[in-house]
Amino acid sequence: MTVSGLVLSPTAPLQEASEDEQDLVARLAASDPAAVGEVYDQHHRAVRAFASRLVGDASAAEDLVHEVFVALPRAVRGYRFESSLRTFLISIAVNHARHHVRAATRRRAAIGRLALEPEGNSQDPEQIQRRKELASLLTRALDSLPLDQRVAFVLCEVEERTSREVAEITGVPEGTVRTRLHHAKKKLREALSQEGLG
Amino acid sequence: MTDDLLKAASRALRDETDDDGADGRFTRARVMASLHQGRVKRRTRLAFILPIAACLAAGTAWGAATGRLPAMFHAIGEAVSLGRKPSEPAPKPLVPRAPRKQVVDDPPAPPPEPAVVAPSQAEPEVVKTPPSAPPPSAKPAPSSSAAFQDTDGDLYRLAHEAHFASHDYARALQGWDAYLRAAPSGRLATEARYNRAICLLRLGRDEEARRALQPFATGMIGYRQSEARQLLDELGPPKP
Repeated sequence: MTVSGLVLSPTAPLQEASEDEQDLVARLAASDPAAVGEVYDQHHRAVRAFASRLVGDASAAEDLVHEVFVALPRAVRGYRFESSLRTFLISIAVNHARHHVRAATRRRAAIGRLALEPEGNSQDPEQIQRRKELASLLTRALDSLPLDQRVAFVLCEVEERTSREVAEITGVPEGTVRTRLHHAKKKLREALSQEGLG
Repeated sequence: MTDDLLKAASRALRDETDDDGADGRFTRARVMASLHQGRVKRRTRLAFILPIAACLAAGTAWGAATGRLPAMFHAIGEAVSLGRKPSEPAPKPLVPRAPRKQVVDDPPAPPPEPAVVAPSQAEPEVVKTPPSAPPPSAKPAPSSSAAFQDTDGDLYRLAHEAHFASHDYARALQGWDAYLRAAPSGRLATEARYNRAICLLRLGRDEEARRALQPFATGMIGYRQSEARQLLDELGPPKP
C-alpha cells in the first residue's frame, strides 16, 4: 500500500491552529529535540496503541513508535494543520508500518511453527484468558490481509475511527476505505472460521 | 463466524492493547538518541561537503573568469579516464596520500585498471583523512559526544533502575537493548551486555542467556569470567 500522507478533501475546512501549536510545529520542523519530546509525551500512548493493534507485537510496535517520532521533524514539514497532530502521527505510523508488520508477521509464523508461544497467565480469570485468545486469533488473522485492508480494519473497527478520519490518515477517498474494510471483514470472517470460530 | 464475534474480537484486541502500561521512557530515550545521532551526522556531512562545494564553486568561478574552464573540464575528464587511452599511465591522485593505516585497510588497486580506481581511492582520502582537518574537526567532537553520552547515560540509568531497583527484568532487558543499540561500544557496554545476559536468565530464556554469557565465560570479554562460568554450569549443557 502506498499512503501518501495526510490528505484532506478540497472542501475540508482548515482547523484553526493555536499559536502554541503553530509554534510547536515550527520547533518540530527545526528538529528541536525538546519539541519532539513534548509531542512524544502527549501522544506516545495513542501511537503505541495503534502500533500494537496494527502490528500485533509489542516490541515491533515499540520500534514503530520510535520510527514515527524520529521521522516526525522531517515529516512535519508537510503538516498543514488540516487535522490534529495525533492524527498526523498515526498517518506517519501507517506510512512506516509495512516493514514492521511484515517482520511481526514472520515472527508470529515462526513462533507458531515452533510452538514457542508464551503461556497465558494462569492467574487471569477465564474472561481475560478468552479475551487474550480472541485478540491473538484476530492478530493472526490480520496477518493474512494486505496492509491497506489491515490498516483500514484496525483504524475503523479496532480504533473505532470514522471512515472520514481514516480517509484523512491514509490519503484515500472514503469510498476506498469502506471497500477495503468490507474486503478485510470478509477475509477475517473466513480466517476466523477456519480457526473453528463462528 | 458472525459479525458479533468479529466485533468481540476487535473489542478484545482494543482492550488488550488499550494501555498496556508500557513505559515509553525507553523508546523516548531511543528517539532522542536517534535524533541526536542524526544531527551529528548531518553536521559532520556539512562540515565536509561545504568546503568541498566552496572549493568547486570557487574553482569554477576562477576558471570561468580566466577562460580556463574548458581546460579544467578536460583535465577532470582525464582524471575520470574519459577519453584516456588504456596504455596511458594512471593519473596521480590529486590529494595528498592518506596515512599508511588507511592504505592497509583499503585493498590496493589492481594495476590493469588504475584509471577506474584512482577517483574512488581519492574520494575517501579527501573525506576521511584531510591532513589539515583534525585540529578544527577535533574540537566539536568532544562536546557532541559528551551530549550523546548524556543520552546514553539516561538509557543506562533507566535500564539499571528497572533491573536493580524495580526487578522488572523484561523492562530491564528492553533497556539494556536500547542502551546497546545507542552505544554498542559505549563506556558501559560491557556491563550492559552482562546485565542483559542476567535478564535473559531471569526471564527463563536459557538458550539466549547461554549465548550471551559465553563470551564472558571464555574470557573473551575479560569481565566477570568466573561468575559467567558458574552461571553456565548451572544452566547445564545446551539443548540439542
